[in-house]
Amino acid sequence: MFGRMIKGILTRQWKKMLMIGLTIALGASLATAMLSVMLDVGDKINQELKAYGANIIVSPQEASVIEDLYDVEGGDKATKAYLREDELSKVKTIFWAFNIVDYSPFISTSVKLDDGSEVKLTGSWFNHHLELATGETLDSGIRNMRSWWDIEDGDWIDEQGSGAEGECMVGTELAKKLGISVGDSLHVTGNASAADLTVKGIFDAGGDEDEYIFTTLDTAQAIGGLDGKVDTIEVSALTTPDNELSEKAAKDPGSLTIKQYETWYCTAYASAICYQLTEVITDSTAAPVRQVASSEGAILDKTELLMGLIAVLSMVGSALGICNLVTASVMDRSREIGLMKAIGAQNSSIILQVITEILITAAIGGAAGFAAGIGFAQIIGQTVFGSSIALRTMVIPIVIVAVLAITLIGCIPAIRQLLKLSPTEVLHE
Amino acid sequence: MQKKRKWFFRMAFASLLRRKSRMLIALLAIVVGATILSGLVTVYIDVPRQMGAEFRNYGANVIFTSKDGTALTIEEINDGLSNVNSSQIVGMTPYRYETVRINQTPVTAAGTDMSSVLKTSPYWSVDGEIPDKDGEILIGATVAQNYNLQVEKSISVTFTPEEVAEEAVAFDNGDEAAEGETSTSDVVLDNYIDFKITGILNTGGAEENYIYMSLEDLEELTQIPTTISLAEVSISASGSDLTAVVGSINQNSENVSAKVVKRVTASETTVLGKLQALILLVTIIVLALTMITVATTMTASVTERRREIGLKKALGALDGEIIKEFMGEQVLLGGFGGLIGTILGFLFAQLISVNVFSSSIVFRPVLLPLTIVISMAVTAVACLIPIRNATEIEPALVLKGE
Amino acid sequence: MSLLEINNVSKIYGELHALDKVSLKVEKGEWVAIMGPSGSGKSTLMNIIGCMDRPSEGEVLMDGIDIAKMNQKELTLIRRDKIGLVFQQFHLVNYLTAVENVMLSQYYHSIPDEKEALEALDRVGLAGRARHLPSQLSGGEQQRVCVARALINYPEIILADEPTGNLDEANEKIIMDLFHNLHNEGTTLIVVTHDPEVAQTAQRTLFLRDGKLVRETVNENFTGEIKYEDWTENK
Repeated sequence: MFGRMIKGILTRQWKKMLMIGLTIALGASLATAMLSVMLDVGDKINQELKAYGANIIVSPQEASVIEDLYDVEGGDKATKAYLREDELSKVKTIFWAFNIVDYSPFISTSVKLDDGSEVKLTGSWFNHHLELATGETLDSGIRNMRSWWDIEDGDWIDEQGSGAEGECMVGTELAKKLGISVGDSLHVTGNASAADLTVKGIFDAGGDEDEYIFTTLDTAQAIGGLDGKVDTIEVSALTTPDNELSEKAAKDPGSLTIKQYETWYCTAYASAICYQLTEVITDSTAAPVRQVASSEGAILDKTELLMGLIAVLSMVGSALGICNLVTASVMDRSREIGLMKAIGAQNSSIILQVITEILITAAIGGAAGFAAGIGFAQIIGQTVFGSSIALRTMVIPIVIVAVLAITLIGCIPAIRQLLKLSPTEVLHE
Repeated sequence: MQKKRKWFFRMAFASLLRRKSRMLIALLAIVVGATILSGLVTVYIDVPRQMGAEFRNYGANVIFTSKDGTALTIEEINDGLSNVNSSQIVGMTPYRYETVRINQTPVTAAGTDMSSVLKTSPYWSVDGEIPDKDGEILIGATVAQNYNLQVEKSISVTFTPEEVAEEAVAFDNGDEAAEGETSTSDVVLDNYIDFKITGILNTGGAEENYIYMSLEDLEELTQIPTTISLAEVSISASGSDLTAVVGSINQNSENVSAKVVKRVTASETTVLGKLQALILLVTIIVLALTMITVATTMTASVTERRREIGLKKALGALDGEIIKEFMGEQVLLGGFGGLIGTILGFLFAQLISVNVFSSSIVFRPVLLPLTIVISMAVTAVACLIPIRNATEIEPALVLKGE
Repeated sequence: MSLLEINNVSKIYGELHALDKVSLKVEKGEWVAIMGPSGSGKSTLMNIIGCMDRPSEGEVLMDGIDIAKMNQKELTLIRRDKIGLVFQQFHLVNYLTAVENVMLSQYYHSIPDEKEALEALDRVGLAGRARHLPSQLSGGEQQRVCVARALINYPEIILADEPTGNLDEANEKIIMDLFHNLHNEGTTLIVVTHDPEVAQTAQRTLFLRDGKLVRETVNENFTGEIKYEDWTENK
């Protein structure tokens, strides 16, 4: 009989149940979408913030001062330390390799131009093709890591095309000074050899680099006589905002307890990634670029908090909405319930029936809403970030528990009110 | 006619006030909807501004240099800044670079206004304190490492004036063996100041190779009147706004050449744009879903009153009259709910602003009528369908009890 | 000319003839009862007389106007002018006080007038409970509010559907005495009931069965007198 009554409600009163189901579906889709977006927004914004370029710089130990400090170019070559080019691929082998989205080596040397002036020639990767041990492939280099460059004329050097070795890109200030344009040939003389470089593009970097010439790593090494050597590696990594632990670790990883050390090592803090980089690159130091790293942290924190609060507001809103409608619809049935009481139904059996009906509706509505919510999250992901939002498994239990809890809570005031009713009162109305 | 109108409101208020629990349910639905509406719209409007301020964490986005390639004066910089709305200026820090010596080896010294550096370079991490008095100095981490310098220690910084530089070479050469603290007595012609190290600077960038002191100290050390090599300016604007500001500075000021720091600004525009798009889309979806929820609740609350509608029809009410009555009542409720929702929404937005951005927001009066009108409209639309449906039913059927 | 004249009225739902060629006349000032078992078509007949439904065939003349072919809106206009309704289940608006429920009827008819509404409540002996909500009134009191509401606009016909069906004996008597009063004042009354006792108080009783008018009796004992004089004292 119980089953029949439930079936009767669901099939014959389906219009009313549809309304509840619809509202629950909307609430569930809202919760799903907001939770998914909330949990993924950090990664997405992090990805966007990579536009600011490298947040970690790896440099040789004890090398940093010489050039900058002495301000004497070309001197003391023998004492200058370098990183090894053959170790570059190791960057993608560290514990947090997956979080390293881009990296690029740099080698600088000064060259003489035909007019006798000295300029800085920097070799780097542009869109260097990497085949990783894991089978992944990655096109890495300054095309991504200097996203703010405006190519005023010409194009980026294409390392995967032919003839990249003889090409260069010239900063806009230098190009103006020299009066050269795309397609011109530039004769440069370095410490080891001289070369004729074809100008492939002219860029505006809005900084010191506007005075430099950029070319491929191999070309710069050959001109400077620095075969197999690298000055610095700029690394762009997805990091977790710093906290007390990571700051303590950054000063001295040795000061941590074993447990803290493990937590730190296995969290994508900038300092942990730096530490892991120095483990694989011989004689190197790695430091977070604070301008990028700390701002990233602040923006990520704020964005996540913001989205979290919006998610909470909208979920509280839809929870109230569902509670409300459930209450309204249960109250609406006071006549029927009065009748059931009149023919001798126990309070407990009435409660059981009402709750079962609502829960069946909630389950159907919740499932539909969950699917719709994933859809909404994808719409947001595709529209805003041009990539899909990852579905976290933790969203599923949260949504299920929330839908059940909210529906049940919604029944409480209505049920209390219904139980207070005496059968005659209702039927007489 | 007046009596009829008076009755109309009397009935509406009676319905709202005497059907308390049902009315509260409907009101709650509207208030929730209106709160989300006004709250999210406020957040949407305010976030770019607030987030923009966060992005200033990346530091200066404009650099002032002189147009003719010489140096600037503070007056010229302030003249340039006068073209910017003062509320948009986050900070301005002048820098003067000179090559000085520590232990006879050259180091780049930056003279600056120590009180404003953190405004244009908020990402600086200092072990110790930023100097706040003359005679104190901030040392870049690399420099500190090279010379084994520590906080609280003192350090002697020397400067070789141009006219004695030639002669000084002789002293330098003769002095190579003698290192350390005694150097000052040997190089008599050099200017020197003994500084107290108050902090070590970590940035992960080139700043770690410099030492920082006040402009006054640098002037005293060099005995050359202060000129400014460049000024870092942080302006809270992005994209085309910033371009316009920079354009007006370049056009109107005499000697200031303002340049946008592309690395900072180009990315900011993109990221901020995405964030705003994200919040817009979230707002739209949340609002749409919430409004549907409000609508279903309102629909349910009207459907419940079919019997009453039937009775009124039996008593001789025309369909139009019933629609007018019910709509009037519900729209009244919608307006009231909208009013409460606007207030709650503002409180919510304020909560977000204080918690996320640690700053408060201003109430936008335009949101009040907007929220109320939208609440009324949603309520009206949500009620129209069930009321129409109810009026189409024969009164006799409804009154029979089904 | 009769106040109400029904000629050959049928109401057909598919195969079912709820009313089958019914003809009857009601004169002004008459008190008529319509009796019949469930399913005999008395509710359908009442709906047609009450201008809440239209017949499938035949004509319904009210004051000489045929309302059988009128549309919903015209029917509503006729109804609010000429008919006062009293229901078995009272049907008061539960958030309006007694006087407001009476005024509601005035509002749809013309203009709400509180003084007049209070007078009507006084006539049914409820002046003291005018500010009470229906939930604060007993069943009998609620039905008296309904009667006051039905007579407030001076309708041509008061149409009552089982007016005592939900009442106990004491209240039943009060309502019936009210009807006597109305009758003595010249109001036309049509009472639909399956209670012979109620039917007997009328001047004339029409019997319906299977949608057909099968019998008509005239109450020879009809006096029009009030039998229970103390009803105003009753709670």
